[in-house]
Amino acid sequence: MANFRRFRPDDLNKLSKCNLDPFTETYELSFYLQYYAKWPSLFQVAEDQHGNIIGYIMGKLESSPDVYRFSEHYLPWHAHITAVTVAPEARRLGIGKLLTEQLEVAADANDAWFVDLFVRVSNHKAITFYKNMGYSVFRVVKDYYGEHSTDPTLLSEDAYDMRKPMKRDVKKEHVREDGEKHEVDPSDVW
Amino acid sequence: MSPYSYGRPALKGSVDVQLQTAFSDGNWQTVVRLAAKRAATLKDPYYEAVKICAESQLDGTAKKCGLLVAVDELIKNKKTPDIDTIELYEWACRDFLGYEVEYADTLGPLRARWAKAYPGSSLALQCLQACLENWDLVSAQQISTSLDKTYANTADRRYMFWNITLTFLLSISPQCTNASRKVYSMLAVRQLERAADLTENAAKLESTDRGLLTEEEICLYYRVLLSHGTKEEFISRLKSPKLGATSQLKAGRKVLLCESLDALQTWGEWDLIYNLCREALTLGLEGATTPFFLCDLQLWRKFASAASKVTDSESALGEVQALLKRYIDIKDKASEMYKKNLSLALLETTFRLPAATLNPNHDNAGLSPRVVQIGLFLDQYFERLSAFDDVKSYVAELGFEEVKTLMETVLPKIPDENADKGRQTVLKALECKLRYLLSTCPQTLSPQPSVVDGQIQDKAFQCRLCNNPASLPCETCLKKLVVDAANTYRQIAGDKELLGSIPRMDKDPRLDLALVMGTSLLKLSGLRPRSSEASQSLWQDVEPGLFLQAVLLLDTQLKETPGDTELRLLLVQLYLLLGCASYAHQLWTPLDVKRTIQDSLSPLFFDRISTLSPGLFQGTRPLMEPLRSFYSHTLSDKSPVRIWDAFSAGSYTSILDMTEFDGKLRRSCTLMMTLVEERRAIRCYGGKIDCEIEDHPLTENINDETTLVDKTDYGPFPNLESLHGPPIHEYLRLGPGLSNERSHLAFLSEQYLDLLAYKPPKDYKPSRNTNDVALRDREYTLETLSRLSNSLTDFLHHPSTPSRLTAGETSYYTILSLLAAALLVALSTPRSSSDPVPQTLSSLTQSIKSAFASLQTTTPLIPTPQKEEGKKKPLPEASCIATLPEMPTLACIRATALAIRHSAGFVLALDEQDRKGGLHRDVLAQMKVLHELGGKGVGEVKAAVQTVKAGLGEAGWLDRVLDLVFGEEEEEETEEGDEVTRAVEEVVGGRAGAEEWAGRVVESWREGVKGWGMVRME
Ligand SMILES: CC(C)(COP(=O)(O)OP(=O)(O)OC[C@H]1O[C@@H](n2cnc3c(N)ncnc32)[C@H](O)[C@@H]1OP(=O)(O)O)[C@@H](O)C(=O)NCCC(=O)NCCS
Repeated sequence: MANFRRFRPDDLNKLSKCNLDPFTETYELSFYLQYYAKWPSLFQVAEDQHGNIIGYIMGKLESSPDVYRFSEHYLPWHAHITAVTVAPEARRLGIGKLLTEQLEVAADANDAWFVDLFVRVSNHKAITFYKNMGYSVFRVVKDYYGEHSTDPTLLSEDAYDMRKPMKRDVKKEHVREDGEKHEVDPSDVW
Repeated sequence: MSPYSYGRPALKGSVDVQLQTAFSDGNWQTVVRLAAKRAATLKDPYYEAVKICAESQLDGTAKKCGLLVAVDELIKNKKTPDIDTIELYEWACRDFLGYEVEYADTLGPLRARWAKAYPGSSLALQCLQACLENWDLVSAQQISTSLDKTYANTADRRYMFWNITLTFLLSISPQCTNASRKVYSMLAVRQLERAADLTENAAKLESTDRGLLTEEEICLYYRVLLSHGTKEEFISRLKSPKLGATSQLKAGRKVLLCESLDALQTWGEWDLIYNLCREALTLGLEGATTPFFLCDLQLWRKFASAASKVTDSESALGEVQALLKRYIDIKDKASEMYKKNLSLALLETTFRLPAATLNPNHDNAGLSPRVVQIGLFLDQYFERLSAFDDVKSYVAELGFEEVKTLMETVLPKIPDENADKGRQTVLKALECKLRYLLSTCPQTLSPQPSVVDGQIQDKAFQCRLCNNPASLPCETCLKKLVVDAANTYRQIAGDKELLGSIPRMDKDPRLDLALVMGTSLLKLSGLRPRSSEASQSLWQDVEPGLFLQAVLLLDTQLKETPGDTELRLLLVQLYLLLGCASYAHQLWTPLDVKRTIQDSLSPLFFDRISTLSPGLFQGTRPLMEPLRSFYSHTLSDKSPVRIWDAFSAGSYTSILDMTEFDGKLRRSCTLMMTLVEERRAIRCYGGKIDCEIEDHPLTENINDETTLVDKTDYGPFPNLESLHGPPIHEYLRLGPGLSNERSHLAFLSEQYLDLLAYKPPKDYKPSRNTNDVALRDREYTLETLSRLSNSLTDFLHHPSTPSRLTAGETSYYTILSLLAAALLVALSTPRSSSDPVPQTLSSLTQSIKSAFASLQTTTPLIPTPQKEEGKKKPLPEASCIATLPEMPTLACIRATALAIRHSAGFVLALDEQDRKGGLHRDVLAQMKVLHELGGKGVGEVKAAVQTVKAGLGEAGWLDRVLDLVFGEEEEEETEEGDEVTRAVEEVVGGRAGAEEWAGRVVESWREGVKGWGMVRME
């Protein structure tokens, strides 16, 4: 039922199966196109037999901007998962995992130290998903999200910054065991 | 932000502090004074430019002209100005770009001149960026050529490929003159050919070589070849050892394979497709790629379908099966996704095998290998949410005997003995879906003689499943299906254990059952796709009771599963159809269609919304603001969004795709819909329309030749239908979907209304010779009328147009085209009273009158449904709710009547203004008739709205709606029909359970009519 291929802009007209799901954020056009422009091979989709997009991953390869070079929060060359989502009807088939693995292959090919991502602390499903693939919490970003996804009385929600070391990080220098205990402010992540 | 992109530029370093400060403070008077002084003393033309730019920031047209003149002079004298001057002028011109100043005629060429003079400067790159961001491809291409020469054979390969990409872009752009198009096409191909040869022939390619190295470079080559090269060139390269598709796959690159298979398919090159797929799939088995890298369903499908088309298809299909078998042998190592793809590939190949191979002896035709394979697939996957969609097209392909065996023998055996209740229920729901699917497949019917036992048969077929006379779909089967599905539904609802297991399931089986019941009821109600031929009134097609039962039942289900998008969207459409726009809007809002996805999804709610319920626009938030600002925001620049990012990253195919996407977005039917719907709504309430539609920045490049594209995404609808009939969304729309034709007609009609509404601006001071102005205005009016009349007629005469419009829309646009023609004649007939008015005018007015009359009569404002044979419950006589779904037609009548009235009024007003004594007597007489006709027409619409409003204001509506749904309480029950009603009643909890729903429906009707009550009728 599915094909994996590189994203193309026309796919934006076929996102409904993924993006009408409340857990999937819809961005401005320039956001999607920025990724497609700069990292086209890190923007991959899964489509069904009718051409509907049933899953996609959007990622990038970068280091922190140079001005932060001497900050303790400086991130060396790494891959970042900006979004990964699978349509409800296509979940638990390994699509999310395959998309993520593809990005990890690209990260290794580009000699990245690690792959990282942010996830809402309440998104247990996604956290399990990442943990099962070898990601662990590196730090907690307090009040990273502007609103809470499940509790409307809360004005913000924390994020886990999760990481998986890549081949380059032989000594596992870029992960930690007790990441849940390391809290940072949103102003410390760029 | 880049330095030139319209932040105020810094003056060049040598400028003194005093002037610098004045400039950065925006102290323009001072800047003008100081710059003039410096220019005089230093004799540096830069200061002259500073002065002119500062002046242009002061008020006054003359000052601005100075700037334009200065830029013009720079272009004319062939010297190269310094870059600081160019930047200064570019900044000062920022607000005139696209209006008084065409970048490609002014600043672009200046930038190019500079970059050619100093290609080694880092600022030359900025010139390229500036030209690209202003989408001046000619200048950008020139700059890139200089840059490529300067940086040839350096490690930065981008210069070379920028040049090629831009040469190609130019060759396919309207910016290129036809004369040079060929040259650029050839140039792009040649350069790439040379690079490709270099790659093929070099033992090892260095990054400084001018060959093809990266995936983006190679894909660019094939894209250009596809567009400008020959098929033979493309194919021969595709097979080549270094640049061919297979070698790319070995490097882990899949894009080329996907793109070339598509190309080969359009050429019908099945042999090649077959070979390519075989080679590709073998790679995974041989370890040249990761094993399942290419196990996409699409590849298997292409492989199987190509195999069935090559000369020796039998052995080719054998090969497909053999390869597939090797994959299946190792599938334990694959992820679920690929396992499933392989199972589907098996299904696909089985269906592509010739019938003779499949069943040589023709015995046991029912349990064919095809049925066996479907059975095996479902055995594994019946619980998955996508199971139905996966097998749907295969089941629809089966012959009748196969269908029977599948449903009666294979399906019941699927759950193993100890399958729990949950799994059995899921299977039951799947079975219901398949039964519904079959009701849409013609193989379940057989023709029957038109006379049986001396009785003429009204049904042309007999259903092979239930043996009753039938047409498609078989009503008897559908009724039975509703009853059976309702039974299962109730079993679930009454079983705590089952209810408890639902959260662990892929999908709530009640949802599937509700969808089956809902769509069956819709079909039973007589709902047909609302195409242009469909009779006017919803209630003339449809039996209200069954239709409302469907809505009620689905609505009840939404309360159980509010998160289900498919169901929600279905209901949004049904409520729109029912005339409950405000309630439909409440259901639509939580879908949170915003930002990027609006272009493809908002037509599902907003198309025709101003004609259904203008009152929605009266809310506190402007209804379509998010949509409008999406376009204004996204399309504000001339260049495709983020295009420079793609250039600087060297993503050449991204550049091409982004450019194409941008072009389509600017030509989106949804964009036109947004502008038109808003304008129509504004006009309903006498609001002010900001600017003429033709002057709107978003319609800048749209003219009659533009093909407007419909990108509506119907993907999120549930679809139980087979491919033998129309998909469900066609049954649910208010009329034909968005189209190029309808969008153009809407655009033209708005232009016509703009012309009628044109008033010279208040502060407009007529020149000394008022007569001149009047004359020019008249000329402009005549030109516009002639153009609009021609264009409207052209689009109405496109062969496809009739099927793209509702009957009401056809009348509206036809009458508008006649009006434009009539006005043209009226205004160009000389007054001289002796000549009679040309015959054309009276025949035009005659046509207008009769077209309007037929619009009014084919759509009675308050329809009186006739009791038809076979339909049990027509609406109560003259019931006002019959009008509610017809509001879009009512809106057409109103708009047409007003257009007639305003057109005539326009002519009469001109006559009064004309000091020299007006128009021809006969013209005036004709116009007065039209004026009156229009007035009377709106009057009738007004009265109709009043009637509906008064009718809905009466008490007792709740009961009336419930009576429609369930029949009146004391009514005698007939048997089979009411088995269905009873089944629905039990699912929704009877009349009592439906009361709240009925209340919401009536409330929404009232709200809609209230909005209509405030609409201007003059
Ligand atoms: C998170 C998400 C992307 C997972 O996609 P998916 O294709 O269903 O995941 P996979 O099938 O590849 O799952 C791989 C493994 O992750 C784990 N996993 C995935 N979904 C899980 C769930 N709902 N509960 C528990 N574990 C889960 C399992 O270990 C699974 O392996 P298994 O199926 O063999 O047990 C998907 O649920 C989703 O799109 N959610 C909404 C968007 C979202 O939250 N994105 C993440 C934002 S950072």
